[in-house]
Amino acid sequence: MIELQTVERVYGDGALGMRALQGVSLTVLSGEFVSIMGPSGSGKSTLLHLVSFLDTPTRGTYRFRGRDTATFSDAERAAIRNKEIGFVFQAFNLLGRMSVYENVELPLLYSSLHPEERRAAIEAAVLSVGLTEKLHLKANTLSGGEKQRVAIARALVCKPSIICADEPTGNLDSVSGAQVMEILRRLNEEGHTIILVTHETYTARYGRRLVTMKDGRIASDERVAGHASAGLSK
Amino acid sequence: MRIRDVIQTSWRGITQARARSLLTMLGIVIGITSVILLLSIGTSATKLLLNQVQGIGSNLIFIVPGATKGSRFSSPPSVQGVVVKTLTAQDTDALSREGSVLRTAPEVRGQAKVVFENNDTTVTFEGTTADFFLVRDLEIARGAAFKESDVLSFNRVAVIGGTIAKTLFGERDPVGKTIHQLGKEGIGPFGVDQDNLVIIPITVAQKQLLGIDYYNVLLIQAHPDYNISYVVSRVTSVFRQTHRITDPSKDDFTVRTQEDALSLLGDITSIMTVFLTAVASISLLVGGIGIMNIMLVAVAERTREIGLRKALGANSRDITEQFLLEAVMLTSMGGVVGILLGSSLVVLLYFILSRVLPTGWFFALPPTAIFLAVAVAALTGILFGIYPARQAAKKDPIEALRYE
Repeated sequence: MIELQTVERVYGDGALGMRALQGVSLTVLSGEFVSIMGPSGSGKSTLLHLVSFLDTPTRGTYRFRGRDTATFSDAERAAIRNKEIGFVFQAFNLLGRMSVYENVELPLLYSSLHPEERRAAIEAAVLSVGLTEKLHLKANTLSGGEKQRVAIARALVCKPSIICADEPTGNLDSVSGAQVMEILRRLNEEGHTIILVTHETYTARYGRRLVTMKDGRIASDERVAGHASAGLSK
Repeated sequence: MRIRDVIQTSWRGITQARARSLLTMLGIVIGITSVILLLSIGTSATKLLLNQVQGIGSNLIFIVPGATKGSRFSSPPSVQGVVVKTLTAQDTDALSREGSVLRTAPEVRGQAKVVFENNDTTVTFEGTTADFFLVRDLEIARGAAFKESDVLSFNRVAVIGGTIAKTLFGERDPVGKTIHQLGKEGIGPFGVDQDNLVIIPITVAQKQLLGIDYYNVLLIQAHPDYNISYVVSRVTSVFRQTHRITDPSKDDFTVRTQEDALSLLGDITSIMTVFLTAVASISLLVGGIGIMNIMLVAVAERTREIGLRKALGANSRDITEQFLLEAVMLTSMGGVVGILLGSSLVVLLYFILSRVLPTGWFFALPPTAIFLAVAVAALTGILFGIYPARQAAKKDPIEALRYE
């Protein structure tokens, strides 16, 4: 469903520009759990931003569900971010003065879901991360692990096919981190495609495919042993 | 994005920064309040002035010696201090034969010091005929007005205004007392406080005080059966005949009616209204710039929120709408508060001024003022909200999310 062909991303102009990605080609099938690893500055976050329509490639082609994304308008890209992709950030990015419910509701404000169906969608998403009893608490009263679970519920609420997570355990202790990773694994088993950026080997092991990056290029791309790769499709 | 969601989101933005929102509104409140207050005062003052002019008498025509050149705002030379001696008894004689003229009252004016016992005051004296009291519709509080026989026999009698009576006689009844006159000064300006006036027979004023044989002004009361503009044209042709003028551009007199004075006044007051509106608009402009300033701060402060909303699927239009609506909501609320505050101040002002001012005060809350205030408030919100909203929508989601 995601096909990148010799994609480059340059920040700034011309010769002085910073080449964050240099000819990256990557195909991700529906239902995969891909972990992207690499040292800081290797381009892994840039790659995730391109895939999740937060950024656009400078050169190369990005085909999403078989369509070339170069011609997509601002509104189309926003709609794909809303419907197809759920994003989980390292810094949670919750609106602290709003309740858990209101935070999870945010993507629905920009979706076409009928307001009467919202409550059910929000409750289902919050239930799947196990925070139902905290539904009406303000986000800034939660612990880090709980905040990240709210963020996952927010990423889930529009029922996206892909979940992009950028260092989701980076700000968490190991117990909370493991909880978050378990949720992501379960979501993958339920059929969501997961693309995870991390620099921790431990976290990366949850994936069924490991992509390592170095200096804006893909250094290795391998199946992780013990995981079945059946049932995948383009 | 649904309208209800946009409204809710914007409302949340406003309520989450309560102090900032209230201060922003204050600018608009002050602007709208001053628009309403100034327009109301302008309207009331206009009514008051018109009322005063209408109080002079009815169907009045004034003849002033000397021609008026230029616009109707320029004054005839006699008013500017030039002595013109062309208005004489010949003219009053001719007018007395004109059927469309009911009464004529010539006037001469001068200034003198009047004395009673130890009290003295400087007054404008007005020499005229007995008809003057009818033409000007003046009421005599005590005693009686002088008669035509007093005028013909040079009787030294005077009708004095209330202010003078108080200055000279205090609480005593001035009727039958003798006042003295010391020295003389030249002809005074037009338009004096009516209560500070001494009216004496024109013969005394002309021959014994001023030593002249011309008039300063002729007051004509038109016959009520005739249209005032017809009377004006009749009077004009009578004057041209007596003064032997064949070329209208060489007129040596100026005919003015009460309507002229009223319309001149109307011009002055509408200029005043424009001026007041301009002043009020400036305060609204300042309020608007305040809104823009605060909205820009809000946009900068909420950069991460904007980035997040974009990452979650908001497009540029959603963000623009949210921030524009915030600005419009702030100005609208400020507008409502301003209208309420302005209207209450207008009512308060009416109660105070109608008691304090001797002339009274008119209550005026013109609907145009309220309409203007609402329109301007909404426009201010949109105008000064667009720029910050566009700044917000232009933000790149990744950079916005990295913003600390």
